Amino acid sequence: MTFELQGRGAFGGRAEGEALVCPESIQGWAGISDVTGRIIEHGHSQWGRSIDGKILVLPCSKGSNGWSCHFNSAMVSGFKPAGWVFTKVDSRAGVAIAVLKVPAVSDLNGDPCQLIRTGDYVRMDGDSGRIEVIRKGE
Amino acid sequence: MVKLTEYEAEMLSGAHGPLRQKAMENIVAYAVALGADELCEVSKATLFMGAHEYLDVLKTDNYEKIFSKMYMCSDETIPLVSFDSGCFSQTCAAPCDQYRYKELHLSREFFEKNKRYLEATKEAGVSIAGSCTPYFTGWIPIKGEHFVTTESSNVLMCNSVFGARGNSDGLEAAVWSAVCGRTPKWGCHTDEGRLGNTVVQIECPSETAVDWDLIGYTVGRLLPPHGRPVLEGKFKRPDIIRLKQCFAAMATTSGAEICHIVGVTPEANTLEQALGGGQPEHRLTVDREACRQSYDMLCCPDTGKIDYVTLGCPHYNLQEVREAAMYLRGKRVHKGVELIIWTDFSTREMASQNGYTDWIEQAGGMLMTSGCPLVIGKRCYGHAEGIAADGAKQAHYLRSETSAPVYYSDMRRCIEAAVSGEWREEMRYDI
Repeated sequence: MTFELQGRGAFGGRAEGEALVCPESIQGWAGISDVTGRIIEHGHSQWGRSIDGKILVLPCSKGSNGWSCHFNSAMVSGFKPAGWVFTKVDSRAGVAIAVLKVPAVSDLNGDPCQLIRTGDYVRMDGDSGRIEVIRKGE
Repeated sequence: MVKLTEYEAEMLSGAHGPLRQKAMENIVAYAVALGADELCEVSKATLFMGAHEYLDVLKTDNYEKIFSKMYMCSDETIPLVSFDSGCFSQTCAAPCDQYRYKELHLSREFFEKNKRYLEATKEAGVSIAGSCTPYFTGWIPIKGEHFVTTESSNVLMCNSVFGARGNSDGLEAAVWSAVCGRTPKWGCHTDEGRLGNTVVQIECPSETAVDWDLIGYTVGRLLPPHGRPVLEGKFKRPDIIRLKQCFAAMATTSGAEICHIVGVTPEANTLEQALGGGQPEHRLTVDREACRQSYDMLCCPDTGKIDYVTLGCPHYNLQEVREAAMYLRGKRVHKGVELIIWTDFSTREMASQNGYTDWIEQAGGMLMTSGCPLVIGKRCYGHAEGIAADGAKQAHYLRSETSAPVYYSDMRRCIEAAVSGEWREEMRYDI
């Protein structure tokens, strides 16, 4: 099954990869490991998984102002998402987008946290705001 | 497309040097990410400077390289010439006390490195303040003034109580703004971005600082994403200490950036004003039971040994240091227990002038500046077998970062735990 979503381009460029969907978002501080890029937030549904190379699908940011800096540190350590998809960008998320400089799309015609599943293959265009979602086996 | 003034376009073109150019490039990318149409002038900033642990990933102690890569997000090393002269910038919490390190289990080498990093930004125009409560040190943006800050509780305080305008952007963006004096005009910088959208009925105790800490924590837990709460109900009027606790806790469990309180904060003389005449998107109730649930999330249910007590999250002001000192006067902290009270160093100086520092030290406690266990990291508390804290934010993050039991209660009960060396049932806060 393949479907498309249309949103607002928040950072230009094209990216593709496996979706990692976190409807509860992720804490930056005490949520993303600076040295491994893995999710270390206690009780998180995707605990232990790496954000590296993924299309990270989040509703918004979460927690402390120190959000972007932990994604920044993880990037310096060699781990960063291939692209971001946000339900709606907030200020912390906006900074993280500017810091990581990977394609980002927001404000889609449907909630990506509801419609995209972890493991789906996502192709995204941060200039046009278009997303293609490919779900295997359906 | 972001509309720039002539001066902003000049900065972007590089006419004002590579540092301002990079700052403007980043601010414009940030504005595009948000969907902002224009920028606004920033005149106050607090910045997260010093040798913070997350900077270690770069594996260098060349500060110009660190500053360029970790704050300016540049692969090229850009000389740290100067911050914007129209924006008063001072440092936020630091990973070491301004004067002492041994007592915090830190090395002289680390202490010197932190000083060197702070000196480098001081030379470029960022005053060293070491405060997560900058309003207690005189850093106060007033109504309508645009600010940036790296302390999330300070975003809530300045927007909600002072009527100033700022977002919870992040550590890098605060630096970009302090360098170029601009931030995207978006969110709490705009009239519509400040209006409440979630009405919260307060039906729980609201007498003490811990009551307000728990109100903040609970509102944050229940608040939907992008929620802008308006608190109403028959609560006791909070003072700045209670609001400091409330906002720190709220910014722990949520991304809230502004919180109106009907009859208390300046943009909420009435509920209608706080909502801008519109209807709320959500309605919540915070009752005693919800606060009890929050308390259970913050305080270990057991009893046991205590060897580390941390007070002052966010940093205490003079009134709180005095209250702690008076309560400690004549008491003696149990052998083997570290009792640390955290404040900024202007407040510490006043405390010393008044004899409060002596009372604390004579009891076996310490009055430290600039940091806290969370900001310093595990090296200062990792040895502890039982920790007590009087701030919900501190207790929340410590619980996620240590396997030692973490207990949470009010100042007096935490001091009792420091004096007895144990956490007993009666030390739990009774809500």
